[in-house]
Amino acid sequence: MSSQQVPSSLRDIIADTLEISSTEVTPDLSGDSVETWDSFRHLQLILALEEEYGVQFDPQQIPDLTTVAKIQAALEQKGANLG
Amino acid sequence: MQTDADRQETRRHLKAAVAARKADDVVRYARELLCSNKAADAMFCASAFNAIAKELVEQGYRRLKTYIVRSVTMEPILPSLTVEALLSGYVMDISLGGYGSYINEMLNGESDLTRASADLVFVVLELEDIAGKLPDLCADGLGEGVEAEIETAVTRVGQMLRGYRNGNSGRLVMQGFVIPATSSLGLVGDANLEWSLANAVKHLNRRLAEACGAISDCVFFDVDQVAAHYGRAQWSDTRMLLASRLPISPGAFKVYAQGLIRSASVLFRAPRKVLCTDLDNTLWGGILGEDGPQGIVTGSSFPGNCFLEYQRYLKQLAARGVLLAVTSKNNETDVEEAFQIRSADLGIHLSDFVARKIGWGEKTQALRELAQELNLGLDSFVFVDDNPIECEAIRQQLPEVAVLVAPTEEPWKLRGTLAEQPFFDTITVTADDLNRSQEYKAQAQREALSTKTATRDEFLNSLDIVCTFVSALEAPLSRSVQLLAKTNQFNLTTRRYSSAEVERFASGSGSLAVAVRVRDRFGDAGVVGLALATQSGDQCLVDSLLLSCRVIGRGIETALLANVADWAARSGAKWIVGEYIETKKNAPSATFYADHGFERELSSVEGGSIFYRLNITEHLPLTPSWLTLEGKDTHEFATSTILTS
Repeated sequence: MSSQQVPSSLRDIIADTLEISSTEVTPDLSGDSVETWDSFRHLQLILALEEEYGVQFDPQQIPDLTTVAKIQAALEQKGANLG
Repeated sequence: MQTDADRQETRRHLKAAVAARKADDVVRYARELLCSNKAADAMFCASAFNAIAKELVEQGYRRLKTYIVRSVTMEPILPSLTVEALLSGYVMDISLGGYGSYINEMLNGESDLTRASADLVFVVLELEDIAGKLPDLCADGLGEGVEAEIETAVTRVGQMLRGYRNGNSGRLVMQGFVIPATSSLGLVGDANLEWSLANAVKHLNRRLAEACGAISDCVFFDVDQVAAHYGRAQWSDTRMLLASRLPISPGAFKVYAQGLIRSASVLFRAPRKVLCTDLDNTLWGGILGEDGPQGIVTGSSFPGNCFLEYQRYLKQLAARGVLLAVTSKNNETDVEEAFQIRSADLGIHLSDFVARKIGWGEKTQALRELAQELNLGLDSFVFVDDNPIECEAIRQQLPEVAVLVAPTEEPWKLRGTLAEQPFFDTITVTADDLNRSQEYKAQAQREALSTKTATRDEFLNSLDIVCTFVSALEAPLSRSVQLLAKTNQFNLTTRRYSSAEVERFASGSGSLAVAVRVRDRFGDAGVVGLALATQSGDQCLVDSLLLSCRVIGRGIETALLANVADWAARSGAKWIVGEYIETKKNAPSATFYADHGFERELSSVEGGSIFYRLNITEHLPLTPSWLTLEGKDTHEFATSTILTS
């Protein structure tokens, strides 16, 4: 899968948070495939996404957002404008 | 307003600057990017800063090994902390303690915290950790058991901080508690019942601040004030607090980090000492030369009261030892006349300013002259002026000076803008601070006398100078530490010791920590000099020797050296070894040891130190004849020489 499949604003936030290159941000990227994606980065990522897109996740849903594709789907479901 | 395209552009520049290892550019682009106030940008900048930490330190940013003792989630806040620290001049290298292990970390001599040998320790706990019963005890507002719970909490925190202090020299920042935005008593009960939770937390914070004051190098961070300023209701995101123990909402990360860094800064940096203000459209409204003394705007009615607010604020700064100065493009006689004629409408008098440069010259030159006249570095100055061109000239030509542009169109904002700045932040106000303005005025009288007397010795004799030597602990200790932190010009090694380190010099048997207080016929300069020395075998090493620039050139530095030499001789030393470390500012002390007959050691350059030695059995430094000595050890020596000779 390619990073081109991920909207650029989302790609940048994920790359910033995980301190990786935005080209590495593919839909199937997950906590298992990136070393820096630990539980604290996960929280940091969620906070940054909520701020960027003006949405709020239910805390019970947060632990399940384990891949870029799931995050993107959840954001779209909340009506976020991913550009 | 930055567009997303601008942000992407700035990010690309920032990345390139990191790759090119250009620290200045990284900071410049980061400042630009951070205007967005977005968490992602703060993270981006924090990683950039971490990536070029080495270059930043080479540029003069100070590396601070920081350890956070905590019982809450701090991880998401770290990028903001890194960023704000950097913007204040620090490269922060942060380690986090475990959630539940704070007591062990603070009290156990073998914990991760003590092993980290941190420069700075933040203690961030929640109310439930140290006074967990408080919300229930305060439920009825009557207060049974509340005070006891608070005292127990304060004792426990005190023990914890002392436990750490005992054997560690890291500076401590103890965070207080935020008053809960709501309680079961409601708005009215919170305000009116003596022991509502709101009142209890206020009391707890005050008691904690007192406890911190009793511990050396420890500052209390009043997080409640920051939260109140931001809005307590928005301060915390209850969802995230309950789900992730994150105590602060992301929107408040920045102001929280700023508050924390600002509190910590007072432990590492000396406050500025002088506020230099412009007159026209700054101290008062209008232009004196055009509007005349009756036309300038000041007084109790609007808009004159905007300026009155600023004048009163300046006077309050002066009351705690900040020196006030004036630079203005005006005729001096016009200014004197205006202060006289409008004195009823002004909150400040011309005599409240210790120095003034009124004329038609360049302000950069005026500031240089003021620095020389007051014997202070330009980095002690804050410059306030409404003219953006003057301000820019100062920024470019005298970058050490802190510059504040007075908002001409909105004069009501000036006082607040000034109050937000950390320039004059200080943790202690000593008697010497309060005396400072007086002392500068006495200095002017001395200068007047010096023009009347024929020779230097005659002049110095006529001053009737008395030096009193006291232990650095009795200076008091806070003043000794303040001198170490602030003295730049006459300072041979510029070591910025903490209270704990000075205490070690003062209490050890093979070491000395002596301070000198100076007064003369015009006034009391207070405690102005300090020497730290250690003795081993037949050598006495002078670790630090410094003197406030206000009293240089009157032989007091020689008296201080003589005092150390007396002590060394009595302790059986044959040699005094003096150390000199060159800095950008301490040229006035460069030849001190050579001037006192010391010989430079040939192979003595060791990590920037130059060593000098003097055989005191052959050549004992003596106090100049025009000085009268009092206090510690000044008579004992005479007795001991009689006994041994």
